[in-house]
Amino acid sequence: MKALGKGSVASIVEIGLAIAWWLLWIALGGLTLVAFGYGALHAMIAAGWIDAEILGGELDLTKGATGAAWPVVVPALVIGAIVIMGGLIIVGRLRRLFHNFTSGEPFRRENATHLRVIWITMLVVEVARYVLLGAIAALFAAVDLPDGAKADFSFNIDISTWMSIAILIVLAEVFREGARMKEEQELTI
Amino acid sequence: MAIRVTLDRILLERRMSLTDLSERVGVTLANLSILKTGKAKAIRFSTLNALCRVLECQPGELLSYEPSAQDAELERADTAVE
Repeated sequence: MKALGKGSVASIVEIGLAIAWWLLWIALGGLTLVAFGYGALHAMIAAGWIDAEILGGELDLTKGATGAAWPVVVPALVIGAIVIMGGLIIVGRLRRLFHNFTSGEPFRRENATHLRVIWITMLVVEVARYVLLGAIAALFAAVDLPDGAKADFSFNIDISTWMSIAILIVLAEVFREGARMKEEQELTI
Repeated sequence: MAIRVTLDRILLERRMSLTDLSERVGVTLANLSILKTGKAKAIRFSTLNALCRVLECQPGELLSYEPSAQDAELERADTAVE
């Protein structure tokens, strides 16, 4: 089976990426619903329309910044949104990249740009993950946890992500150089 | 690009059209047009050979060097080093 062109491995990957693309949109929709639902619930409790006890005694949302539920849910939603939106950018660029591969044109300047956007997005998501996890840890440190509950935070570096970023940086430049050589070859008479 | 292809001048002197040249040299009209308008990045020796054969000229008659701003900058840098 050939790697590039119609009916190739690239075309199969393109189909998989299209499925991932729609799944990510569904996840984003779900996350938006959860965020709105949580916001609405919080507003209704604040307005006194519903009793916070309905959610269970340990999750007293009316405590706001001093309660456990409020500080945990918001950064979790933010992390989820960043990861899903980052995923959408990456998968969107990969779809365009593999569309070009399926067309049999790997060395195009725009492919180098797609790879560059992918590694920058991965970098932003990874750094944002560290920052937000740090923020959650800081919030937990300021909160009295209920009996029996414990928060365990440890700083870990995902070597595979950083290696992927480094590989993509190099690949982006390889594609840029390839596109430059192809242009030069096309303009050699 | 500091190297210019003076194909239009030679064609005028020979009273030859680009289409005629294309047919006699065996290079497409589109590629000759790229060469004539200075958009070409490089020229093969085989193409240069065919052009010189058909136009009965030397390679130096087809090409001329006109220093660009970048070349002038490099020249100044070289002079400063010396």
